[in-house]
Amino acid sequence: MPKIETDLLVIGGGATGVGVAWDAALRGFRTVLVEKRDLTHGTTGRYHGLLHSGGRYVVKDPHSAEECIRENRILRKTHAHCIEDTGGFFVVTPEDVNAYPDQFQAACKNLGIPCEEISLRAALQREPLMNPRAARVFVVPDGAADSFQATHSTAQAAQIAGAQILNYHEVVALIPAEGDPARVVGARVRDVARGEDVEIRAALTINAAGAWAGVIARTAGVTVNVIPGKGTMLAANHRLINTVLNRCKMPDDGDIIVPIHTVTVIGTTDEKVQDPEHLTIEPWEVELLLREGDKLIPGISQARFVRAWAGVRPLYQEHYAGASRDATRDFVVLDHAARDGVAGLLTIIGGKWTTFRLMAEKTVDKACEQLGARKPCSTAETPVPGVEHGHYWLGHRLREVEQNHLQSELVCECELVTRAMLENAARNNPTLTLDDLRRDVRLGMGPCQGGFCTYRAAGILHELQVQNSQSKIQDPNTWHVADLQSPARNAKLEIGNWKLGVGTPNLLLRDFLQERWKGLLPILWGRQLKQERLDELIYLALMNADHLPDEDAVSPMSDFYSRRGISTTADTEARDA
Amino acid sequence: MLDLIVIGAGLSGMLAAHTAARAGARVAIVSKGLGALHWSAGTIDALGYFPDEKTPVSSPLAALPMLAPNHPYTLCDAPAAWREFAALTHACGLPYAGANADANLWLPSPAGAARPTWLAPRAQLAGDLARAEPMLIVGVRGMRDFFPELIAENLRKQNHAARAAFVPLEVITARHDSNSVQLAHALDDPARQLKLARELKKIVQRGERIGLPAILGLDNHPNAFQTLEAETGAAIFEIPTLPPSVPGIRLNDALRRELHRLGVRVDVNMDVRGFHADGARIAFVESETSGQPLKHRAEKFLLATGGILGGGIQSDPTGKTWEAVFDLPLTIAPNRGDWFRARFFDPAGHPIFRGGVAVNRVFQPVNAHGAPVYANLWAAGGVLAHADPILERSLEGVAIATGVAAGKFASQA
Ligand SMILES: Cc1cc2nc3c(=O)[nH]c(=O)nc-3n(C[C@H](O)[C@H](O)[C@H](O)COP(=O)(O)OP(=O)(O)OC[C@H]3O[C@@H](n4cnc5c(N)ncnc54)[C@H](O)[C@@H]3O)c2cc1C
Repeated sequence: MPKIETDLLVIGGGATGVGVAWDAALRGFRTVLVEKRDLTHGTTGRYHGLLHSGGRYVVKDPHSAEECIRENRILRKTHAHCIEDTGGFFVVTPEDVNAYPDQFQAACKNLGIPCEEISLRAALQREPLMNPRAARVFVVPDGAADSFQATHSTAQAAQIAGAQILNYHEVVALIPAEGDPARVVGARVRDVARGEDVEIRAALTINAAGAWAGVIARTAGVTVNVIPGKGTMLAANHRLINTVLNRCKMPDDGDIIVPIHTVTVIGTTDEKVQDPEHLTIEPWEVELLLREGDKLIPGISQARFVRAWAGVRPLYQEHYAGASRDATRDFVVLDHAARDGVAGLLTIIGGKWTTFRLMAEKTVDKACEQLGARKPCSTAETPVPGVEHGHYWLGHRLREVEQNHLQSELVCECELVTRAMLENAARNNPTLTLDDLRRDVRLGMGPCQGGFCTYRAAGILHELQVQNSQSKIQDPNTWHVADLQSPARNAKLEIGNWKLGVGTPNLLLRDFLQERWKGLLPILWGRQLKQERLDELIYLALMNADHLPDEDAVSPMSDFYSRRGISTTADTEARDA
Repeated sequence: MLDLIVIGAGLSGMLAAHTAARAGARVAIVSKGLGALHWSAGTIDALGYFPDEKTPVSSPLAALPMLAPNHPYTLCDAPAAWREFAALTHACGLPYAGANADANLWLPSPAGAARPTWLAPRAQLAGDLARAEPMLIVGVRGMRDFFPELIAENLRKQNHAARAAFVPLEVITARHDSNSVQLAHALDDPARQLKLARELKKIVQRGERIGLPAILGLDNHPNAFQTLEAETGAAIFEIPTLPPSVPGIRLNDALRRELHRLGVRVDVNMDVRGFHADGARIAFVESETSGQPLKHRAEKFLLATGGILGGGIQSDPTGKTWEAVFDLPLTIAPNRGDWFRARFFDPAGHPIFRGGVAVNRVFQPVNAHGAPVYANLWAAGGVLAHADPILERSLEGVAIATGVAAGKFASQA
């Protein structure tokens, strides 16, 4: 079995784990991060997209709110290009007229969260589709954040600082020290792409597996009770608003609408679930979100919806048994030596995307303590690659495509993905599935949900496979993940080398269509149902893609929909146990 | 006064109008859009698979008697209608043909799968996968929607000899943002046809047949096809592309010319959304305009608006579905939870797509008791219940068979 030695092993390639790897590498630790699928496979890739100002928690959870505003200010500098500076409204709809708005305003003032009340007229001028019967409107510094890009950029910063990021590496079990079961000395990890195991030995292992953290801890005999709170979101196919809209009331279901990239997202629900991997979206959730959405944007329920998805909050509260909505949004660093008598293991759990940097800082502080090293954190002052692009704005791809006449290069017309963007993403980022490219460049995320681009992307990747031998290796220090987003820069970039072999194009196609289907199922009616039927015409009648060769091939994605997929995962083992 | 108004200009609507007009009726078509031909392979698929069955249908003729009792094919003489259609295509200069025996023809799909079809235009016939000659699949470098390496590799995996090659885009056009229709227009030019033929001649080997994206001309298609075959000395076949479909547009245009010749007026961009009935008879239908709705009057009406794909069946988030023009009863379950299966490619198909308008033996929409809803209304094509033509690979076959049948019954009534 191949072995890797390191100071820190980080488990989990979500915002938190990648943040930890970045911080640790900057402080000079030898660091290895393992993620069982692609980066952001977990909750980080399925969240709502809100850079919190803290306004949401200001009354209920002031400590979290304070962290949010502090981190909000930092991330705007370190991760500017991953954030759209939309600002946010807290809207007092006719239903919300009570004592809360005054409490809200006072609490914001108290915590130093900028909060300005504006006239309804001014609010409607900025957001004409907002409920015109609102009683009051407050403006706060919310933003829209792209967690795919932020995590990839942070991972690149970590790599530049010396960390090794291994995706498609899944922890099977933590390894106890020989003769000392009360000490963790690393993990046995499955290289999912090659189907072989790797042993990673580390002075300290950091469990940042989010909703899966309990499963990881259990392999060392430690109990961590994650409260898995599932939340569902719906994306409407246009930007109906350009400002984040929050209801001004105690946090509840369906009370935030976030404009992000080309879509508008209503969320969320909050339901305790058992299994963080296989989430179903119930019809009542869709109905609830549409109904609640109408209160902020009357008529949004009549819009065309292009997708629904769900993520699981990795909430943690020692000895908690209540509803997940009411569990704290705080995070904790669990020192298992002190807590459970198991040395060599920390778990970082809870929190929000907005606070990932702070969570990482506190975790690596604790690691320093344990490893007897004293090094200050520098992430708050260290911008990640790509930050020079400035804040994201919606028109940037379109402008570049038009200025550079790249229309003929478009693979995905909905999201303006050019062939060069796709090829560079595939060759510079480890790529096993088309879904990885979706996270890289937003392939297939628009109204047609992959109807046209799935076939094109599979065809293009296959051509790359065929020509692969002639390409050159790209230097990770000169190429930026942020460049992925730019049609113009990609037109000029030299194409880098292929990092991981993708499966057969037939499998790529099948997996991606199935993945898109999963998100379409809950919202198929009206025009999106018609679109779906067109996709069937293309993939069944025209392509006969359900009768392509390689019918039995599986990828790490196939286990989302068929149990024939890779099944030796830690979580299935734990489930079966 | 018109005898018959057909609502919908897709394949079923056109065939219905054609049949009625040939029988002497004064017919017009009003339609919102142009039907599914523009998205299709341009072939006539009759029956390729039974739902939930792995083995493909080898002969649609032999399979017809095995269909479920309500299937639209069981209500009409489909083989006769397909023969009429083939004769019609010969008459309009775009001849369609099938395999020699009573079997399906297997042609390469744009993904390199073998797709079962019944009739194909002449330009696709040399792709017949029952033939042994090795295939040279030629793509156009810079064209977005055609991947010869993918097609060739998948054909090889199915034990067909195939290899891929490219010709540069400049051979066909100087424009870089060309879609399949623009490329086809460019190849209407005889000089470009010759240029392409010369490029192909450089790469083709003796005994190979050449597969090209379906862009070999639109208005001047027969000439493009003959020039390429004559100049290269090889058999040439088109492989359909992602939409817009050039073969579909050719067929649409040929049928429209034929309808025009018969004096059938076709108005598109007319969204028919309302109607007026005097008791059991429909007096007129209304299409939406920017001002007053436009009234269209006739003795009889024939609904060929397509199913969910054509917009003939609408739906909303509460699970309500309705037929868009006459609000006819539908066979679709009222609960969205019953509409779909968990896998996109489930071989049993998604239940919602089997739903639609139920008709009697003379193609009149009926209510739950089997009685006609209106005395002067008929229906054909994708709007009909009890078949999922996309899953079965019977989309065009059903459109033609039911269009011809409904057109006949409507004109005889
Ligand atoms: C519905 C919803 C909406 C939200 N909206 C917002 C919002 O708008 N703003 C905000 O700030 N926060 C939001 N959050 C919270 C935020 O998304 C999460 O707190 C954050 O993404 C958690 O990141 P993480 O890295 O801790 O966990 P994750 O992103 O889940 O990362 C854990 C990773 O561990 C990996 N893993 C699991 N098992 C193994 C194994 N055996 N081996 C290797 N790797 C493994 C998983 O694949 C996963 O990628 C939302 C959360 C939910 C559920």
